[in-house]
Amino acid sequence: MDVIKEDQVLDCSGMLCPMPVVKTSKAIKTMEVGQVLKMVATDPGAPPDMEAWSRQTGNELLRSMQEDGKFVFFIRRTK
Amino acid sequence: MWKTNDPDVKKILYVQTHGEKDPERTATPFFLATAGAAMDNEVCIYFTMNGPQCLAKGNGEKIIIPRKGGNGKELKYFIDQALEMGVRLFVCQPSLDLHGYTMDDMIEGVEMIGGAAFNDMAVRADAVIAF
Repeated sequence: MDVIKEDQVLDCSGMLCPMPVVKTSKAIKTMEVGQVLKMVATDPGAPPDMEAWSRQTGNELLRSMQEDGKFVFFIRRTK
Repeated sequence: MWKTNDPDVKKILYVQTHGEKDPERTATPFFLATAGAAMDNEVCIYFTMNGPQCLAKGNGEKIIIPRKGGNGKELKYFIDQALEMGVRLFVCQPSLDLHGYTMDDMIEGVEMIGGAAFNDMAVRADAVIAF
């Protein structure tokens, strides 16, 4: 897998729905279009939620994976 | 009433009919509305029947969302989260009367509409979800 370089990291470990989505939404709005946010979560609802969030908002979910027992997402701000 | 004219912004209207007698049914509409707003939708919640009790001053602190094993959260936590994400809260005028409330009894930020405005919002929404 190619390494994706993030511009900002957001740790949502320990947070439950809907906080990872809320924090991601706020964080991405502080970034430039084209920049990549790495979000880390432990909420088991996060993978389907981040897919839905990305589909709705149009921000691109570059990768959704598991690492060290956590869910890791790379999201590019598209607009 | 809906603010957006942008067809890319979807409009979701939640309807809350439950109040202080059913604390376990009070948090979820706020919760889902918060997530909906975080997905860049325009989101409103309409409070009718017992719903306005959720928005009465002091009730946010008084209504505790029960949780197995204890440590329930105050409803205020979920209300504040929704308001922070820009969710708008509407009460139904006759439902205020039902409980002897006036707008002065409602927390900051609550707006009032009647039945015609509610129906107008419903037909123009992309989704209406009632609890």
